[in-house]
Amino acid sequence: MSDNLQIGVSREEGDKNVSVLRLTGSLDANTQNQLEDKAKETIDGGAEYLVLDMSGVDYLGSAGMRAIHAITNQLSPEESSMRSARLKVLSPSPAAAKVFKTLGFDSFIDIHDNLDEAIAAL
Amino acid sequence: MPHFKADLGQLSRIREFVTETAAALGVVPTALDDLRLAVDEAVTNIIVHGYRGAGEITLDITADGNDLVVELRDEAPAFDPTAATTGKPRQPEAHTSPGGFGLYLIRQSMDEISYRRTSAGNELTMRKRDVVKGVR
Repeated sequence: MSDNLQIGVSREEGDKNVSVLRLTGSLDANTQNQLEDKAKETIDGGAEYLVLDMSGVDYLGSAGMRAIHAITNQLSPEESSMRSARLKVLSPSPAAAKVFKTLGFDSFIDIHDNLDEAIAAL
Repeated sequence: MPHFKADLGQLSRIREFVTETAAALGVVPTALDDLRLAVDEAVTNIIVHGYRGAGEITLDITADGNDLVVELRDEAPAFDPTAATTGKPRQPEAHTSPGGFGLYLIRQSMDEISYRRTSAGNELTMRKRDVVKGVR
């Protein structure tokens, strides 16, 4: 068990079924499953589009990226190798954004710094 | 020398230890993210792919001139991360090999990585050059 990561979920008003997962804390090998489980629960609950708000994430490692990769596959299994149309990432720290870029995830997941923009891009 | 339990629940404490020790040694703040990342990934690999159960990890962080040197020791089965192949992941699907993402991040974050198998276990040394600037 860990209290190193807190995840708040909110459903956005609008035509599309968009949920925002607000992450606070560390996204590492210890908390990877927490994020995957919460995302699965949210998708199983009907969410078709997700925004991952990472403004409160103080650490992102490869385990966190694996979780994000698993979520994109769950949202759009049929287009897993293409740019994700159903998941957007919001406001990662410079260190987290660097991990995205180093591992090449920026080539298939869009990063936004504004929630309205992220939702409009879905 | 600081010892940590091989438990994923220790990762945040280990990252704090890296931050505090490196800062006390006079490491420039801009290098701290890379150091935390490299140590977290290396320790995660030891826990997940090495021990796969209970064990202990020794983490030693020292300054060698202007270089910062991180030494990790464990008693898990032999694993040489410097021998594993990793390329730049263009397609994430291509990176399903265990620990592959983490090893790639370690190599991008540190300047030198060396591995030794000793009678006591695995010994991984990671060096980041020219980051120790403070007066010690």
